[in-house]
Amino acid sequence: MPFIKHAFPLKTASPLLMAALVVFLLTGPVAGISRVQAADHIKIGLLEEPKTLNYWLGSDTWSKKVLDLIYYPLYIHEPEKLELTPWLAESAPVFDEETLSYTVKLREAKWSDGTPFTAEDVAFTVNSIKGFKDSRRYDRWRFVKEVEVVDDRTVRFHLERPMAVFLKRSLTTRIIQKKQWLPIVEEAGKTDNPLAALRNHQIREPVGTGPFVLKEWKRGAYVFMETNEHFFGKGLEIAGRKLGPYIDGIIFRVFGTSDAAIMAINKGDIDMFWWRIQPGYIEELEGEAKIKLYTSERSALYYLGFNVRKAPFDNPAFRRAVSYLIDRNFLMLRVLQGYGTMMTSIVPPGNICWHCPDVPEYADKVLLRGERIRKAYEILKEAGFSWNTPPVNEKGELVKAKGFRLPDGSPMQDFYILTPPADYDPARSMAGIMIQEWLREVGLPASARPMAFGSLLDQVKGRHDFDMFVLGYGSLSLDPDYLRMFFHSENDKSGGWNMSGYSNPRYDELADESARTMDQDERRKLIYEMQRIIMQDVPYIPLYNPHLIEAVRTDRFEGWVPMLEGIGNTWSFCTLKPK
Amino acid sequence: MDLRNFVFRRLIQVAVIFFIIQTSLFLLFRLAPGDPVERMVDPTMTPEDAQRLVEVLGLDQPLWTQYWVYLKNFFLGEFGTSFHYGQPVVEIIWEKLPNTILLFTTSTILAALAGIALGKIAAWRKGTRTDTVLTIGSLVTHTVFLPWLALLLIWVFGYRLGWFPINGMISADVWLDPSAGFCTKAADVGYHLVLPLATLFLVSFGSSLLVMRSSMLDTLKEDYILTARAKGLTDKAVRNHHAARNAALPVVTGVGLSLAFSINGGALTETVFTWPGIGRELVFAVSHSDYPLAQAAFLLIAIVVLLSNVVVDILYAYLDPRIRY
Repeated sequence: MPFIKHAFPLKTASPLLMAALVVFLLTGPVAGISRVQAADHIKIGLLEEPKTLNYWLGSDTWSKKVLDLIYYPLYIHEPEKLELTPWLAESAPVFDEETLSYTVKLREAKWSDGTPFTAEDVAFTVNSIKGFKDSRRYDRWRFVKEVEVVDDRTVRFHLERPMAVFLKRSLTTRIIQKKQWLPIVEEAGKTDNPLAALRNHQIREPVGTGPFVLKEWKRGAYVFMETNEHFFGKGLEIAGRKLGPYIDGIIFRVFGTSDAAIMAINKGDIDMFWWRIQPGYIEELEGEAKIKLYTSERSALYYLGFNVRKAPFDNPAFRRAVSYLIDRNFLMLRVLQGYGTMMTSIVPPGNICWHCPDVPEYADKVLLRGERIRKAYEILKEAGFSWNTPPVNEKGELVKAKGFRLPDGSPMQDFYILTPPADYDPARSMAGIMIQEWLREVGLPASARPMAFGSLLDQVKGRHDFDMFVLGYGSLSLDPDYLRMFFHSENDKSGGWNMSGYSNPRYDELADESARTMDQDERRKLIYEMQRIIMQDVPYIPLYNPHLIEAVRTDRFEGWVPMLEGIGNTWSFCTLKPK
Repeated sequence: MDLRNFVFRRLIQVAVIFFIIQTSLFLLFRLAPGDPVERMVDPTMTPEDAQRLVEVLGLDQPLWTQYWVYLKNFFLGEFGTSFHYGQPVVEIIWEKLPNTILLFTTSTILAALAGIALGKIAAWRKGTRTDTVLTIGSLVTHTVFLPWLALLLIWVFGYRLGWFPINGMISADVWLDPSAGFCTKAADVGYHLVLPLATLFLVSFGSSLLVMRSSMLDTLKEDYILTARAKGLTDKAVRNHHAARNAALPVVTGVGLSLAFSINGGALTETVFTWPGIGRELVFAVSHSDYPLAQAAFLLIAIVVLLSNVVVDILYAYLDPRIRY
């Protein structure tokens, strides 16, 4: 059998195997020795790889981290008060009430290819967003009639109607280069599905105005950015900070799991892990001398929502009673292990520009369980609800409540608190179960029901077929216009953002006014009032806001700038210094 | 029935199976909970804008139309564009496939060679302490939970001792160094390959060893072994040339098939070591409802596995004229 005879040269195989192993073992240490320690390249660990560096497609966390160091807007938020600060613009925008226009003077800046940044680039960016109806940015620009290029360094925006979001949302849109994108945009415009063609365009060398420029992207391994030699900010002082960058570049490395990244930062392989550290790792990292943990507030909101379209959830007294029953302090300590902030309003406290400090309070930290039950009992009783056995008996003692009845005397049907499943988010799922137990203490027949995220959204946002739900937003925009989106009655439609179905003419009026008030102080008053109304009527009960904990090594670089949403911000990257 | 007829019938069967796989894949992804658009929507997006995203991805079409487009594109060799990368799926797969093949082919071959070499010895010294150690040792490594072993190796050799990199396939320092030549870069990949390779090797060599051992034991009972001994050949010659070559056949067949499976990468191994291969990509695509990418990756696996089965069948039929299914 000739086939078998030559099938397997076993005699030669074993030495080959040995040789291969020897080569691996020998080359290992050699590769280790030949490592070049690029002194001032900061190494940053990412959990996942950026999906794309296409401006129009990159909406995932990881792509944005890189893209946001390349493309910059006219204005950015400064770290202390979160006020708008001129970035590519030279000064604050000038509003002309008569023509309803904003004039912005631009800085003398250059693109990373050395060509000047001009008003043409700004107009081109906006016109492309409007022309392609880019789903992520169109909403910020649909009310802008025209972008006028006054001269190379002056651009004027003509608004159709006054829109407050123009300042904080439109003017913070990142600008792309006309020279690089014009041919791509024209090409995409000729296809059947222009936006898809634009999003799927492969861009290898993005030209930006930011402090760093993409040097090399080795898929699956690293992204290497070098300092942009044409960066306008070098040596400038903006918002009281003298900008560099003082480092030579950034090497982003992909880790895939937190475990690997944390080992790497412990070993000194990376200088920063740009992702939130889960509570389980914190203790381990706290013990390390060369590692520092930064705790930042997030612009996040996790909340319990009611379907106010149906009884008894349409009754504000019922919702207020539920608010009293929910011990938010307990949720914070047990669900977030203390690494979070208790939420008192819809706008997170970290957003100091817009968070209203004096809203109706239900979550006084000191309230004991019994006090909460009594308080809820009083509110419900006053609103006409009744029990076969009330939670508080005639002697004023707490007893097991039974047979909760609506004001019309009918017994309350079982109802459900929908939450995402534990593998998607253990915190929300756990919160649902705790709330269920607290509601049962006064005899409300609640059951927490974790369900697949997609189905949950379909039921809550699509079909409005639910009683209560626990959802959240990991990153809310800094502009509080979402208050209008979440609770304006015009958004109460299938797929709309008013999932609760809240409807209040007075609130709608305030919300509309807040949307057109251009003066920030005036607008703040309205936004405060809106928060008070919402916390009075509680269609949503804000629950908690997890902290963002990030780890950096202290031995090679210093000068991280803490800010809402973490230390990985422009201010840090422009002012970090090698030790 | 002649061989040509047999091959023809076999190919028809494969085509039918493939069509069934293709259709089930399409349906499975669309029936699974989760909406590809929902992950891209943020609170500032109006429902109209979100709807536009749906149209851009072609998900507004009725299921039948989507299915028809999917089939048509497949026969035109078009696998579409990944929702997340915005890049043709084929490009992504071509980019990741070599990494997976490097890791899994190397480990499969090394494990088979080691399995054959050690299985041979175990059978030859049946009942001795060597046999016991090898058999039990291979059973242990074969049944150990792979991610646990991987993490253990990373922790000991990557973190505590610091001999090998914790994860990844290349190190930025080496690749960004302009003076690094091809050999240095290759050595860097080899260096990163050690731990994942060791993990896969440890987990898979056991099965080859056990198959080889039992096959060898059968072979040793054959008359021609007795003849070889009677001829006065040395033990070594009998063991290596007469027994092992015949006994290795089932192992080789097994390896052939497992090579086919190795293109799907091990999602677990690749994830633990952040190895940029097909396995990780597959997990990502499924968890983010990136239909085009996930479908193409699964189809690729289906094609390779089906075809390698056919090749093995045909090879058998060719080698052994008695075999006709």
